[in-house]
Amino acid sequence: MTKRFRTLIAGFAGVVLVATACTQSGGGPQTSESPGAAEKPQQGGKIIEGDTSDIATMNPILVNDTRSRRITQLIYDDLIQADPKTGEAKPRLATFSISPDGLTYSYEINAKANWTDGKPIIAQDWLTGLQIVGKSQLTVRKSSFKDIQGFLDYCVGSSTSGCKGTAKTISGVKIDSANPKKFSVTMSKVTCSAIIDLNGYILPTQVFGKYVTDTSKDEIDTAPENVKPTVFSGPFKFEEWRKGDQVIMSKNADYWQGAPNVDQYIFKVVANATAIANGLKTGELTFSILVQPKDLADLQTVDTLKIAKYPSLGYRFIGWNTTSPQAPGLADKRVRQALAYGLDMDSIIKSVVFGEALAHVAHHVPVQWAYPDIQLEPYKFDQAKAKQLLKDAGWNAGSDGFLAKDGKKFSLTISTSSDDQQNITTAQVAAEQYKQLGIDAKAVPEAFQGLVTKLTSGDPVLDATIIGWSLGTEPDPYQIWHSSQIPDRAKGTTGFGFTFFKDADMDKAIEQARNPANADCSVATRKKNYETFNKILNDQQPYNFGYVPNILAVSQKTLQGFAPASFATVYNVYQWWIKQ
Amino acid sequence: MRDFIIRRLIYAIPTLIGISIITFAIARLAPGDPIRLFTFGIRDFTEADYQQLLHRYGLDKPMPLQYIDWITNAVQGNFGESLIYHRESFTMLMERLPNTLVLAGAALLLQLVIGVPLGVVAAFKRGTWVDGAIRVFGVAGHAVPAFWLGLILIIVFAVQLRWLPSLGMLTVGHDQWDILDRLKHLILPSFVLALTGIANYSRILRTETLDVLAQDFVRTAHAKGLRERTVVFTHALRNALIPVVTALGGVLATLVGGALVIEQVFSWPGVGQFTFQAAIAKDYPIVQAGVMFTSTLLVISYLLRDLTYAIVDPRIKVG
Repeated sequence: MTKRFRTLIAGFAGVVLVATACTQSGGGPQTSESPGAAEKPQQGGKIIEGDTSDIATMNPILVNDTRSRRITQLIYDDLIQADPKTGEAKPRLATFSISPDGLTYSYEINAKANWTDGKPIIAQDWLTGLQIVGKSQLTVRKSSFKDIQGFLDYCVGSSTSGCKGTAKTISGVKIDSANPKKFSVTMSKVTCSAIIDLNGYILPTQVFGKYVTDTSKDEIDTAPENVKPTVFSGPFKFEEWRKGDQVIMSKNADYWQGAPNVDQYIFKVVANATAIANGLKTGELTFSILVQPKDLADLQTVDTLKIAKYPSLGYRFIGWNTTSPQAPGLADKRVRQALAYGLDMDSIIKSVVFGEALAHVAHHVPVQWAYPDIQLEPYKFDQAKAKQLLKDAGWNAGSDGFLAKDGKKFSLTISTSSDDQQNITTAQVAAEQYKQLGIDAKAVPEAFQGLVTKLTSGDPVLDATIIGWSLGTEPDPYQIWHSSQIPDRAKGTTGFGFTFFKDADMDKAIEQARNPANADCSVATRKKNYETFNKILNDQQPYNFGYVPNILAVSQKTLQGFAPASFATVYNVYQWWIKQ
Repeated sequence: MRDFIIRRLIYAIPTLIGISIITFAIARLAPGDPIRLFTFGIRDFTEADYQQLLHRYGLDKPMPLQYIDWITNAVQGNFGESLIYHRESFTMLMERLPNTLVLAGAALLLQLVIGVPLGVVAAFKRGTWVDGAIRVFGVAGHAVPAFWLGLILIIVFAVQLRWLPSLGMLTVGHDQWDILDRLKHLILPSFVLALTGIANYSRILRTETLDVLAQDFVRTAHAKGLRERTVVFTHALRNALIPVVTALGGVLATLVGGALVIEQVFSWPGVGQFTFQAAIAKDYPIVQAGVMFTSTLLVISYLLRDLTYAIVDPRIKVG
């Protein structure tokens, strides 16, 4: 369970930059065969996915964790999905187009798409989802829609949220009076992430409409349908949630892309990664994407299983506090570069994750379209170069053998979450290797919750922190790297810019890729900006970007069509089948 | 006797208040706050969202006020809304209780069915290799950590031999009323949970039986020419069982408490696993409800034990 909490959010110390939308995959697996192989799929059987923690809700607007997201994906279909190769937005339930000024998004929902109660899926159902976001006090998704014209007038929230709660409708959303499956959304400014954000939440109005009447308050937050939904649009229908044990779903025979081949999909909660490995070996589980590298060698010997590996959509890193009063050396780029050259990331990957990761030197990960094509400095392990850089920066060995500058010894505390063994080991190895450079480094594990609070509030006590990001389909790094996101203790503002690193050119690149003045949200243009952005980060090293871990997806050989990848796992679940 | 019960119940109140303060303090005084944990890294999560959530959960009030709010509601059976599930914590805990009771009940049964005969046999075969073996088993049963034994049994009986399932209380997708399947799932966890008790009872029974066998009335029974079986079962065992009966009073809390570890190893969806997962996820209301529930059970359990003592052995004066 502990492990899952880290991995939950894709393998790292419990960190998430959750995609609000989008399934589908990029960075394909190394082994499993392509979906819909030549054989004719057999009908029947069930899929049992193993996970180490329960879901929290089945209302997509309240989902903050990947496993609840899994269930809502299976029972409610998405408007759009990401391209498997590039992560670009592609049609799923609806086709879409964007106006030349980049402000209006038009959608048409598939004519065949119906709810399980037989009613057609219509534009109003999307609007209901948006209105529910506006009414909920528990959702953290309001900001994703704030640029829709009229949304702030509609939504209800605290005074600082910008929500006014004065309007009864959202003026920017127009439903076609002739075709209830067509609608358009107008933004108040050009926002490139809109195409992903506007995926929104399509919820059955016949069920959820009662929570968005003029008199509704936040009843949606405790609605019984959040834990017991009744009408569905996805490939599976919810049957039962035995809390902490399993979620049982049965196939939606009327699913618009074709009825699933299997009868049931069961999300099974087990104790920990060891229980997952055992459950796969005994056949009690059909598949899991949470297999730990330590169990891999053992599972490889089981001939009933097949193993797929692919890079995760995220990375684990060491974040340097560039304004640390205890370690003033971190303010100097040369020192941070020295710390990159002085750490043998390849050996860490070998010892910590048994080689199941790729060394990483920028923010975006290779499977994202935003990953730069240009050559980045790989920071290969080179102690001599590291020592030279430290010397150039004015750090020389003192009488006690440690580096010092202006009479101050170079001490460095590397903090990490106490319940993540991978990160603890990394911190310990790093501390050892930095000692060889003459730095008085030590690794300090502490409770994750405390660490997170210190980071987001900009507590100066942290010098360096090992943690991870799980990235979403939308590559906008604004929340992590824009200078406006640096926490300010004096003003009491928080944010994820806990390295305190800022760079005007980097800000500009981020802004242009987010809200371009010329309305150009094309991949080519944004990619160019992200090239600039990643190049600055690669050179400045506010993080040691660590590594991108592999996801290890292990399944029974009888499971056919299963083709998980970095961007998604169950996007094609209706095509999966069990070979008897 | 009535005074005794009333007095003991009154004593229990400060104990429970003390537990409630400690539980609350440990949960809330840990650095950081749960909202930060749940929302770390969420795209577009703003300070305004944070303040709204803090207020929604009442976490923006001063700590003592939060405690008073919580305890006032708790005595009325409302332990607060789970931060993750958005439902009342105690209700959710109680939904899991039957699963834990099944496990604890099966373990109790095994303890008695295996532990008692082992103790008696050891006493009658005193000094033989049988006695030796049972005594070694008794020590080992105490010494072996439950989680370790659980894992070993899973590897042997589930992974290698494929005789028994490795996780859960019912094969996924099977009918809820498939009793045979449920029994199969129950074997390993209930045995591991019962082991300490089996060791305990066999040890107590052996000592007590030896003790009783040496007493005059047993010699008299033998002298009267009664059959060995009558002597053992009607005279000796009845007296030797007294400590076992009294120990039963306290066993409930031990079993429910022990289930925490066992449920985790065998993915058994009971109160223990639920509380454990909530602790990992920092879902305080559930953790607090879980700890308060187990503590109250413990207090009641000890009360029951003292009462059974008084009932079974009139020489013990209550008070």
